[in-house]
Amino acid sequence: MTQIISIKDFSIGFGDVQVIKNLSFHVNKGETFGLLGSNGSGKTTTIRTLLGIYQPSAGKLLIGGKPYSVSSGIRLGYLPEERGLYKKESVIDTMLYFGQLKGLRRDQAHNEALDYLKKVGLADKAKARLDTLSGGQQQKVQLGITIMAEPELLILDEPTKGFDPVNRRLLMSIIEEHQKKGATVILVTHQMEEVERLCDRVILLKDGKAAAYGTVKEVRKAHGGKSLDDIFVSIYGGENEEVQNV
Amino acid sequence: MYNLGTVMRFEISRTLKKKTFWIMAFGFPVLFAVIAGIIYFSNKATDDASKDIEKQKFSFVVSDESGVIKPAIVTAMTGKMVPVADKQQEIDAVKNGALDGYVAYPADLTNGTIEVYGKNVDIFTDGRYTGVAQTIMSLSASDSTSANVKAALTKSTNVNSTIYRNGVQYDAIKQMILPGLFLVLFYFLIAFFGNQMLTSTTEEKENRVIEMLLTTVEARTLIVGKILSLILLSIIQGIVVIVPVLLGYLLLHDKLSLPSLDLSSLPIDWGAIGIGFAVFASSFMLFTGLLVAIGAAVPTAKEAGGFFGLVMVLIFGPLYAASLFVSAPDSPLVTVLSLFPFTAPIPLLLRNALGNLETWEALVGIAILIVTAALVTMIAVRIFRYGVLEYSRKLSLKEIFSRK
Repeated sequence: MTQIISIKDFSIGFGDVQVIKNLSFHVNKGETFGLLGSNGSGKTTTIRTLLGIYQPSAGKLLIGGKPYSVSSGIRLGYLPEERGLYKKESVIDTMLYFGQLKGLRRDQAHNEALDYLKKVGLADKAKARLDTLSGGQQQKVQLGITIMAEPELLILDEPTKGFDPVNRRLLMSIIEEHQKKGATVILVTHQMEEVERLCDRVILLKDGKAAAYGTVKEVRKAHGGKSLDDIFVSIYGGENEEVQNV
Repeated sequence: MYNLGTVMRFEISRTLKKKTFWIMAFGFPVLFAVIAGIIYFSNKATDDASKDIEKQKFSFVVSDESGVIKPAIVTAMTGKMVPVADKQQEIDAVKNGALDGYVAYPADLTNGTIEVYGKNVDIFTDGRYTGVAQTIMSLSASDSTSANVKAALTKSTNVNSTIYRNGVQYDAIKQMILPGLFLVLFYFLIAFFGNQMLTSTTEEKENRVIEMLLTTVEARTLIVGKILSLILLSIIQGIVVIVPVLLGYLLLHDKLSLPSLDLSSLPIDWGAIGIGFAVFASSFMLFTGLLVAIGAAVPTAKEAGGFFGLVMVLIFGPLYAASLFVSAPDSPLVTVLSLFPFTAPIPLLLRNALGNLETWEALVGIAILIVTAALVTMIAVRIFRYGVLEYSRKLSLKEIFSRK
């Protein structure tokens, strides 16, 4: 299998706090990969470093064989944990701006944005200012921006955070749609139910190290056939301190 | 008002814990002390310069067709009487710099015009020739035994002053207009757009949109795009202000009997205009970059606002030494203010308009501004690049420069 993401001997710290210690894993092209861990386990830091927002103190983090940069040619869709939009701009102008930044022509971005807004029931809000939309509607717009220009790599950091059940279902269907199109999806989360449903392989981070790593099946088998939810509780609830690389 | 005390304690204690509060608290008195020092030094230097000018004996000659002017008074004022027939010769002497001043009194002092010719010194000192002409006439009238002469000369007299610089006629006021436009433009653009420059990056931080943005567009592209947009917006704002005024003037000129603008009489000094434009453009770039950098380094527009005052003091503080720029352009303080990049724009633009900016100073000043503008823009990109995720705190200088 072709690796689209390769992380080798990655370490990073902030001040005296070592967030990630010598972490290595890879993500195969076309798979859905779960980057799991409790709050503060280093998931978001790993993604931010992978995307060049943070600089690692050691190790190599590569996407498509090279460190990520906007000009590296990877079609990336990134939904960060910290979310927001230009509140005083209209929905369509914001989507056009990001669509064009992602390389779409204005008319392509316009069509793609309108198609998406129709699909999620926001067509009548296209010209509305973002700060007039409800929180859920704003999340839909942000999700729409993330998937513009057919990303080949979709990184979703805590994608269901703050989502109501309707938006959560929408998100799941969008992820599945992109899986079918062959996109690689990285799901950063601690919602195990979604992971079991969507992910091919997972890594569980604890104290900046891999506490478990492999296919969902392999990880479950290594933990006596427990559900991922139970494994999560056992790892982060202090029941199992040992690092298990499957 | 239950809990009012708790709220106040919380607000006061968290503000007192902020370094910015103390920087502002101590920063402003220090800045005011610096400004007070500048004013004191400026006033002292101006006063000294005035005394020096008073002490300076300048050469002048006087011709008199009226017969009223007393040669003894002219001589007492260190001047010299010359024949009326030598008028053109004396004018030429002033023109080529061999003589400082020449006063030609007409035959009819009450209805005629006193012609004053002088060599340019500076915009304020150039008035000394007219002053001398009026003093001589006034003293001569007082000394006269004729009641008619006294009565006639108490009326206002016409004085026409012509100043020469490097062999050509020089009108310091008109000469200031075109290069001075860049000073006015700089002042208004910073005043109008300063705050927008400052908040252009905090908006993305406050809206939490920056992380998604920076994985889609290069930080350098974003910052340079913002700076160029602000410059273009400033030009549009300038056009929006100027065009209606010009149109209004052209359309209503006759109806409202507005005074005619004779632009053809404005002296065009391409050198001064070019320097004015270069200083304006590089200064504008520098301060746009600086304000964008500050905006990128702090978490909110509110915190950025605190720094805006400091930047304004840097930019416009040198105006307190304005009299010094006129009276003592060679003083060390003027040179320092003109060449220190963050105070340079106003001194350079003002002195360029006044005509006392040396070419070397202009070139060095512009070079310093351009290099600093480029450095500040690079730092702004760096701050933006590494400070984007600092949603709740300012980046320290150490952090900005230590990142790889």
